[in-house]
Amino acid sequence: MLRKATIFGMVCLLLFFMSFQANAQDRTVSGTVTSAANGEPLAGVSVVVQGTTIGIATNQEGEYSLSVPEGNNTLVFSFVGFVTQEVPVNDRTEINVELQTDIQQLSDVVVVGYGSQIKRDLTGNIASVSGEDIAEIPVNSFESAIQGRAAGVFINAGNGKLGQGISVRIRGTSSISASAEPLYVIDGIPVTSASLSSFDNETNPLATLNTSNIESIDVLKDASATAIYGSRGSNGVVLITTKRGRAGGTQVNVNYQTSFSEPATNRDFMRSSEYINYFLEAAENRAVYDYNRRGNPDGYASEQAAINDWVSYTESVFDFYGQGVDWRNNPIDFDWQNQAYQDAYGQEVDASVSAGNEQTRFFVSGAYSNQNGILIDNEYTRINGRINVDHDASEKFKVGLNLSVNRTINNRLGNDNLFETPMQMVAQIPFSPIFEDDPDASGYQATNEYNINTYYYNALDITNNSTFKTKLNRTFGNVYAEYAFNPNLFVRSEFGTDILNQNEAYHYDNELSYYTGSEGTAYSAFTEALNYTTNSYLNYRNIFAQDHNIEAIAGISANVYKQDYTEVQGDNFPNSSFTQIQNAADIVLGSGSETEYSFLSYFTRANYKYKDRYLLGLSARMDGSSRFGENNRYGFFPSVSAGWIISDEEFMSDASTVSFLKLRASYGKTGNANIGNFPGLGLYAGVSYAGASALQPSQTPNPDLKWETTTQLDVGLDFGLFDDRITGELDYYIKNTEDLLLGVNVPGTTGFTTQTRNVGKLTNQGVEFVLNTRNISAGDFLWTSSFNIAANRNEVGDINGQVIEGGYINRAVEGEPIGVFYSYEYAGVDPETGDALFYVNDVGEDGFGVVDHSTGTTNDPSQANQVVIGNPNPDFIGGLNNSFSYKGFDLSVLFQFVVGNDIYNGGGVYMSSGASYFDNQTADQLDRWQNSGDETDVPEPRLGLGNGNVNSSRYLSDGSYLRLKTLTFAYNLPAELLSKANIRSARLFVTGSNLLTFTNYEGWDPEVTADYLDGNLALGNDFYSAPQPRTFAIGINLGL
Amino acid sequence: MNKFKTYIILVAAVFAVYSCDSILDTEPQQSISEDLALNNSDNVKAVLVGAYNEFSDADVWGGLMQMQPDLLADEGDVNWTGTYEQPRQIFLKEIQVDNSFVADAWVDSYSTINTVNNVLSAIDVVNAGDQDRVRGEALFIRGSLYFELARQFGKAWNDGDPSSNLAVPLVTTPTTSINEESEIPRNTVQEIYNQAISDLTEAKNLLPPTNSVYATTYAASAMLARIYLQQGDYANAAAEANRVIESGEFTLVPNYADVFNNSNANTSEDIFAIQVTSQDGGNSLHTFYASQGNGGRGDIEIQQQHLDKYESGDDRLDLFYADGEGTRSGKWQDQYGNVLVIRLAEMYLIRAESNFRTGTQVGPNTPGQDLTIIRERVNLGPNLTPTLQDILDERYVELAFEGHFLHDKKRLEQDVGSLSWNSPDLVYPVPLREINANDALTQNDGYGGSN
Repeated sequence: MLRKATIFGMVCLLLFFMSFQANAQDRTVSGTVTSAANGEPLAGVSVVVQGTTIGIATNQEGEYSLSVPEGNNTLVFSFVGFVTQEVPVNDRTEINVELQTDIQQLSDVVVVGYGSQIKRDLTGNIASVSGEDIAEIPVNSFESAIQGRAAGVFINAGNGKLGQGISVRIRGTSSISASAEPLYVIDGIPVTSASLSSFDNETNPLATLNTSNIESIDVLKDASATAIYGSRGSNGVVLITTKRGRAGGTQVNVNYQTSFSEPATNRDFMRSSEYINYFLEAAENRAVYDYNRRGNPDGYASEQAAINDWVSYTESVFDFYGQGVDWRNNPIDFDWQNQAYQDAYGQEVDASVSAGNEQTRFFVSGAYSNQNGILIDNEYTRINGRINVDHDASEKFKVGLNLSVNRTINNRLGNDNLFETPMQMVAQIPFSPIFEDDPDASGYQATNEYNINTYYYNALDITNNSTFKTKLNRTFGNVYAEYAFNPNLFVRSEFGTDILNQNEAYHYDNELSYYTGSEGTAYSAFTEALNYTTNSYLNYRNIFAQDHNIEAIAGISANVYKQDYTEVQGDNFPNSSFTQIQNAADIVLGSGSETEYSFLSYFTRANYKYKDRYLLGLSARMDGSSRFGENNRYGFFPSVSAGWIISDEEFMSDASTVSFLKLRASYGKTGNANIGNFPGLGLYAGVSYAGASALQPSQTPNPDLKWETTTQLDVGLDFGLFDDRITGELDYYIKNTEDLLLGVNVPGTTGFTTQTRNVGKLTNQGVEFVLNTRNISAGDFLWTSSFNIAANRNEVGDINGQVIEGGYINRAVEGEPIGVFYSYEYAGVDPETGDALFYVNDVGEDGFGVVDHSTGTTNDPSQANQVVIGNPNPDFIGGLNNSFSYKGFDLSVLFQFVVGNDIYNGGGVYMSSGASYFDNQTADQLDRWQNSGDETDVPEPRLGLGNGNVNSSRYLSDGSYLRLKTLTFAYNLPAELLSKANIRSARLFVTGSNLLTFTNYEGWDPEVTADYLDGNLALGNDFYSAPQPRTFAIGINLGL
Repeated sequence: MNKFKTYIILVAAVFAVYSCDSILDTEPQQSISEDLALNNSDNVKAVLVGAYNEFSDADVWGGLMQMQPDLLADEGDVNWTGTYEQPRQIFLKEIQVDNSFVADAWVDSYSTINTVNNVLSAIDVVNAGDQDRVRGEALFIRGSLYFELARQFGKAWNDGDPSSNLAVPLVTTPTTSINEESEIPRNTVQEIYNQAISDLTEAKNLLPPTNSVYATTYAASAMLARIYLQQGDYANAAAEANRVIESGEFTLVPNYADVFNNSNANTSEDIFAIQVTSQDGGNSLHTFYASQGNGGRGDIEIQQQHLDKYESGDDRLDLFYADGEGTRSGKWQDQYGNVLVIRLAEMYLIRAESNFRTGTQVGPNTPGQDLTIIRERVNLGPNLTPTLQDILDERYVELAFEGHFLHDKKRLEQDVGSLSWNSPDLVYPVPLREINANDALTQNDGYGGSN
């Protein structure tokens, strides 16, 4: 108590001196602040008399006017993204300043958990991306825009469908069974980010956000940054800060852009004539093979009889699927692959107004965006509104509000594994017509009716006679109050909600009864996800004896999530005009459910800085969660970090090339609680049979269940050379995850297949390197580069010998990276027989396969041993951004790369299967074995038989790629010209994303994840997955 | 210092919104904890219905336990044209150890058995009046499943020594915790058959003659007749079949086509059937046999070779239909049609065959008379002095695509194409996931590979 009183005393003394200063005689200083890069006036620049609270912000024209007390004063000009300048007044009354763009942005404020820090003082590793950098990029969701910009953040958009889930991995995958996605926090409030899809293909709730509202994205990577989020920090934390109003004149910004998208890549399939020859050959091969090598199971009298029968069978199949096409003489090519795509136009308009004075500031914005996907019937519409208000009721009391209302409408598509998904049309027989034949015409003449006698359901018929929409309304609301007891101590309370209402509905017309089995089907599901959080914390900061700088927080947080769900399906409608469930004759499905989880947390952090160059950080969080059994309800997550700004040491004062050098290290513990809501309980589920309600065991108990724990060590070096013309960061980290929450395989004879247990270990270690350079800064010309590269090595540790599988052939294997491909090793084709061969390989003592080619090959995969054949995790990821500006022009070119990962084509067993089915085959299959002595990798096709079309390394290929991710070229109209029209700024730009892709990947697109597969192991799988869109956009930004 | 007190009050007020950790107490809404599920009579009965629900799963008796053995036994009667790799492997007799359909047959059967074992463990909680029935139904399900598991995952009864051939692990107690002791080795074919017979015999004695769509004493008898026939114990097979036929509880449906595609109700001929409605249950036979026009996948085309096995004028031929791509069996046309498990016609055929083989006459009919009953229903003339082959041929066409082909071929020691009846290729592999999760298991002959 005594100490408190002392502090108050000191504060009063300070206030006294300040008021004394303010009473002295003043002079007025005015001037204009411009950008050194393009000479444009800068609005909102803070101009403060050093050592005082006297200050003002520049107006729209970049002008300021300030009362400065008498004496040797210095003005401090600071603005986000620019180097802060200190200018002595020296009796002048006019001071004009040009601010330089800040590359290293050491002075920038970085958002951290429950507060912010100056980048220079950071002891942890945080990757920041400014909203400005990504505002113009035409993407469906903001995650795609930071791809290649943040070191160690691996983003995979899955495929080219709009609104779908995007995978984000920060410093590797730290879990096998629990979610590996980061925690997303918007303006201090954790938000719902997991898919709420009722279907196998995940959706992305974050796509609702208006990217142009984002001020900054800060990705917390190391333990000192994430431990403050405790049991939710292991996968990293993404902090999103939205724009706020600034004191100064009214600023209006209007942005408009229009875009066009097309598939980034394509894949070659057989043409009709190739297909026909290939399949007739396959029919003959089958007959010969059956007759001579399979014991003539159908009992043919001679080899020729077998051939005749198989060929005539194949011809009859062709006759049927030809549907009026004379395939023998005129095998028309219906380009089925192209039918999957549409001309995809999009537009986006966004307007915001920001204004305020020293007391009240606000930012309001509205946006509308409509994007068409490259796949037919795929569309995403987004409407956003936002108001952020800050009000200083007094010097001590501040209140504020962030409110954002959002609506999205997504015309969705079936998952990659459904016949109706457009990309599966590539499997259709190439001469099988899209439309029915006109029987009266000579030769094939298309009618308007879709041909439904296709080998697979005609996806065009289904898509055109059905709808599948997801509508989402989402409100983010966040109010805060902050009370400063004195300049050193304040308390802040926040209450935030994220209310998400979603409707997913589909309808199939009566005409599709051949597909749905009923005369019309309608389905509707409603989900409400209510996620609310309260945070309250005290913040204390002070400087003691000049050299001791302390900031500390302590607080408490509670988070409750509740989800309600209802669904209903009706079948059999009078006709296709009726689409509402009310008109269904049969209600065939009705269900409802609810679930919830909660967290209660206590957290604290202290940062201490000595002599402005020795840094120490401590943080801790105590987390309780409803998700865990009574025995382990609370966990403790501490971290410690330290930094040393070597360049500020005396002995470095002569090292003129080194302008900045900081060594930092952190160590701490985080958790992962991203598992189901009641994984520890033994449960019975309610079911039914023959109209009677019933119970059956659904989960076996584990009362000891707790969170996964990750300890992470990070050592980093931040440097600046040649006056910060070259700056960079180098980090090494090692993350050890223990007590993995594993769905452990248990003997099926127990009645269960898995039990969630804390077993197993997982390690991620890696290196990240960031380099920012100012290459040329000559007059009006500026060229800067920003490069980042990260290597992460993942290794599955002791998992008790568990075999944990995912995807098609992914596995967790001890001593290997997570999700390695584990299957038969393809050994090519026997030149004598045309048989597909597999390496027999060997089995190690642990029961796992070991590569050993000395064991020879076999044509029967069941005689071979499965081995690790590939790794879906990249060796390196990164990006290189080059920015050029000259007078009003600027150009930004971002390349992004992923190196060293493999991709498994799960569709290979169908699309490159040697005529196992009548699916059209990839063109590369034409290089098949035909005659004894042929050297090829493609086995002899045998109709309806598998010759090497089991899962094997045959369908694995390198997934490395280098991509011209974005290119933006813009022209800023000169201020002189605009001022006549009362326009503050005008910027015209053209931009594009995914413009060029360099890869050896054999499939469509190396950025791929089959959307119906989930789980952390199901990495690097392709299954008729749509390529990424290549998008071109032109736009204008107007400032008024 | 007053001001300071104000601060304290303010801070206290802010923090007071957080109560104690009661917000961490949440309960699941769609499930109940296991101690609640078995604590009263109604709940235990509900768990029994849950066992039926699992029993009716696609991978158990919702269709695949009938379809897959038929595909494995096929030698040209059908053609598999579907793109599902798992049944295709079975059709081609090239089953891989990781075939997920085979794994599901194992896993889902044991899941059902565990549910049944839970019911049996809590039988004392059931009200006295219903105890016998509940216990009997539970034993019927368990016995039937063990019989199916034994003949799918083990060698045939008549193949070598059933007292040393391995079948599947025998589990008769509910799983309360999972540990090393849960790794149970495979029991012999004989042990599993004995368990099935003992469960079903007890069920037969406990169950009532009628019991809605649930198991009855006659369902237990019918299943026993099937087991005895599989073992070549014709006297017992005839006795159990006779008990069902002569009970008077069942009559043949006059029109053969009406035997099939009935939703959520048994016909007079059904001794036990899986109930399917638009609300619950599923019919996997429909999924694969029915044409696309009937909402199925149309993956199984019936070949002329099969149709040639019927005599001309046989009403059973009328049930086949063409859909442009091929001929389909009409037995499984309705998406919501029941999946038949055991029906009266089979009992007549078992009694006829068993009586013929033993040369005795259990029941009022000669084998020829029993055969004639089956024939006359489908508009065929009587055959009062049949040969054994006549009876077997009749059985083949009467029960076609109902899951008997493989088991009959093994029983009759008939080769399947180029494969001998006792070829290891005609026995399922122990699923790879089980081998991996349970060190006590050994793999069947003919299947290798690492895990």
